Amino acid sequence: MKDAPDDWTHAKFTKRWQLERRKRLQRGLLDGLRQIIAPRQRSIAFYGVNINISGVIRGDPMPAQELVMSQKINLNVNGAGHAVEVEPDSMLLYALRNNLGLRGPKFGCGLAQCGACTVLMDGNAIRSCVTPVSAVGNAKVVTLEGLGTPEQPHPLQRAFIAEQAAQCGYCINGMIMAAKAFLDQNPHPSRDEIKQALNDNLCRCGTHMRIVRAVQRAAGSTQQ
Amino acid sequence: MITLYNTMSSAVDLAPSRRRFLQASGGLVITFSLFGPKPVLARDAAQTSLAPPPAGKLYAWLAVHPDNTATLFTGKVETGTGVQTALAQIAAEELDFPFDRLDVVMGTTSATVDQGPSYGSMTVRYAGPQIRSAAAAGREALLNLAAEHFKVSPNELVAKDGTISVVGIPDRTVTYGKLVDGKRLDMEIGASGKRFAMKVAPNAHAKDPSTYTIIGKPLPRKDIPGKILATFPYVQDVRIDGMLHGRVVRPYGVEATLQSVDENGVKNIPGFVQVVRRGNFLGVVAETEWAAIQAAAKLGSTLNPSGPDAGQAKWSNWTGLPKMDEIWETVRKTAAGRNISVASQGSAALAFGYASRTLKATYKTPFQMHGSIGPSCAIAQVKGDRATFWSGTQMPHETRRDMAQLLGIPLDNVELRWVEASGGYGRNGLDHVVADAAILSQAVGRPVRVQWMRWDEHGWEPKGPPIVQDLQGALDENGRVIAWQHHMWIPTIDDTHLIAAALIGRPDATGDTGTGKVPVITYAYTFENADVAVHDEGRVALLTAWLRSPAQFETTFAMESFIDELAAAAGQDPLAFRLAYLKDPRAVAVLKAAAEAYGWHTRPARAKADHSGKPAHGRGLAWVNRDDVRVATIADVTVDPSSGRIKVSRVVVAHDCGLVVNPDGLKNQIEGNVIQSLSRTLHEEVTFDTAHVTSQDWQGYPILRFEDIPDSIDIVLVNNRPEYPSYGAGEPSTNPTAAVISNAVFDAIGVRLRQTPFRPKRVKAAMT
Repeated sequence: MKDAPDDWTHAKFTKRWQLERRKRLQRGLLDGLRQIIAPRQRSIAFYGVNINISGVIRGDPMPAQELVMSQKINLNVNGAGHAVEVEPDSMLLYALRNNLGLRGPKFGCGLAQCGACTVLMDGNAIRSCVTPVSAVGNAKVVTLEGLGTPEQPHPLQRAFIAEQAAQCGYCINGMIMAAKAFLDQNPHPSRDEIKQALNDNLCRCGTHMRIVRAVQRAAGSTQQ
Repeated sequence: MITLYNTMSSAVDLAPSRRRFLQASGGLVITFSLFGPKPVLARDAAQTSLAPPPAGKLYAWLAVHPDNTATLFTGKVETGTGVQTALAQIAAEELDFPFDRLDVVMGTTSATVDQGPSYGSMTVRYAGPQIRSAAAAGREALLNLAAEHFKVSPNELVAKDGTISVVGIPDRTVTYGKLVDGKRLDMEIGASGKRFAMKVAPNAHAKDPSTYTIIGKPLPRKDIPGKILATFPYVQDVRIDGMLHGRVVRPYGVEATLQSVDENGVKNIPGFVQVVRRGNFLGVVAETEWAAIQAAAKLGSTLNPSGPDAGQAKWSNWTGLPKMDEIWETVRKTAAGRNISVASQGSAALAFGYASRTLKATYKTPFQMHGSIGPSCAIAQVKGDRATFWSGTQMPHETRRDMAQLLGIPLDNVELRWVEASGGYGRNGLDHVVADAAILSQAVGRPVRVQWMRWDEHGWEPKGPPIVQDLQGALDENGRVIAWQHHMWIPTIDDTHLIAAALIGRPDATGDTGTGKVPVITYAYTFENADVAVHDEGRVALLTAWLRSPAQFETTFAMESFIDELAAAAGQDPLAFRLAYLKDPRAVAVLKAAAEAYGWHTRPARAKADHSGKPAHGRGLAWVNRDDVRVATIADVTVDPSSGRIKVSRVVVAHDCGLVVNPDGLKNQIEGNVIQSLSRTLHEEVTFDTAHVTSQDWQGYPILRFEDIPDSIDIVLVNNRPEYPSYGAGEPSTNPTAAVISNAVFDAIGVRLRQTPFRPKRVKAAMT
């Protein structure tokens, strides 16, 4: 079939992609978690669900946990220190949203599956819905609010606005934060690399085409 | 004690006057604005009722402020589709007012007119003309004020960009803001009828559409900057003084009854306030969100609980759902013989006797879900016989009435303050969570915020129903269609009963079971003998309600795939075959426009099974008439026979929704529909056992990811001209996709896929 020039490359690409994705899950999301969780701990628990650090999410309920009273914990968020009074086992997402009043990170699934809660921790994109506050330590947390301001938006934010890359917009926090961590590592990505980088962030409205264009635009603008 | 973030602390008042609300909620309303917060002084200062404003008054629609900004009030709401911007363009156009100085207040029941729910691609189509008329009346009212101001006749005045000038005397100008001087626009403009059918300002003179300067421009959406900059408040972000956090604990089985609740250990959770139990309704309330989540988890709210007594709340062992693989038989059997004819032409039954070739096929589509990325959320403040709700529902005025009914309190004491939510795509959990919050708030006497967990949303949001369709077609010896039969079995697509009401033992407190009735299809072919009928039903298995383009996504899949089957059997080009049986000029126009943009060459579907194992290419075509919008879609696919994976590379859409208000907003919506319907075609199926939904997260219910997006989506706008009205574009471009992909796969590998989703396993199975 002479009109099928790309298929073999496509098939190979797909296969490589699947491997890549598995690797990325470990390297990106879960490496982020590994860094912050005691090295010997194989899984973390939340809402009675175990997340195995090797990437498998299991649904078996956890045994009842010890109750821990809330403590004052210092967090470095968007360049400033904040003392938040929370339970150390509670997840970072709730501290950011409810204690610090931030709107960028969103609750989407609580299972590290959708990416709506993504924030940067020491430059890595992590899922704040499964990251215990106790694991943050001195790490520098950056949320969408910390990327840019309405007066001085980050180049990614400018690009998303220029491309009108949102519909309901609930996932966009995660898209921008994941793209930020990605572009910091790979400032001149191809379209396929952008798609790979965002593959574990879910969008339901179907804004994908514009999101990819926005990241391409931002990458172009940072080249200058 | 946690520090609560007070978005609207001053807005908490059980009986706010509308003026106080509008002042207090300024921080919220103004998020849509480029300007700082301001009191809407022009609105009613004295009125204390929470009833919507009277539609016949200009102030029900518009306010002009001293700084020469203005506010449009509409009962319609934004759900991510861009209607806020489109409606603002319509108002700015008719008011001769700068678009970027016009705010929009949406949905809040005490501040807006009930224009009907924001569903069914009906917002621009029906609310557009209402707003257009109100804004035209506003412009006339302002010209009259200016005529008094300048002591001239209104005919000597010209309005432009929010100022009025005396013709020929350029220094005699006055702004709208100065003219109105902070007052309420108390003019009577007249209104009759209700909701979608409401006629507003019947005597106003709207502009000639050929003179439009704001309508038709691809203006940036008003809501997008805030969503990108994290300043936009979603309903999930609303925090109220004294607010508690609630979570629900749903039954293990759909209709299981609550046997017992062991609160041991729950009470020790720091911040725990109360377990609320009413019949089979179970919820928890706590000072912090984390405590509420922990308490609910102890009672059994977890992902994939292992059984009805896995948590400290024990449920009866209910297993009343049909088996998953028997659902379509159940759908068939449930039909009580009702047969609603959509088209009856000649006699299909007789004509089949004369066929040289007869084809039969059955198409099946599963339960699918809305799958909002943000689980449903609402805040309720119920105290005595008064209630305030913060909600992102697509039907604020209905939900307000439902809540008054559910709580048994006077409607005049209920207000729903609308705040945008994560996208809904139909009736998802947003209305149900309001009822959950109402019950919890009523029980504890404080404001309660409830957000569903992911498993609550996946498990309990109303689904799109499973549908089974039988088709039969007959060809004569020349390959012409002499008979067409299409019968559809469709469970209800508009069951509006509330989950919480059923759980507290008052299932009929509000809502209606609804049916799977027409319009679920627009039949447009001109076959001589045709029998197209819907067997509509009530609830089958799970709660179902409207999901983007309810049932028509599924019926278009069957109709447009089966005509492809006939075209292939007749050895004809699928486009030419369709055109031979279509008279509707707008349908013909979109099909031809899509074919031209795609570069369609006439040939029958290849349909050759290729045993080389190499990836194969195919093209597919389908069209729809949804709510008077015509859409034709063509796509290229590559099927990898070794994996069964379908990759969509190129999509072309020709779209006719008449005069387009905002071309870029429309394209955003069309792209979204294409991607979302591709997701529904390739990936999505709700799974369930006899107790409950088992696809409770994104692993169980996968949706399309970036790896599956097409390389390009090209969009051609057809009949985008002033002589056409503006039809709604929310849903229509969803419809052709499943048929397009099925037809393209057939072209590629000669295999006909008649059941969604087309997951690799199913494709592989079909190939053998």
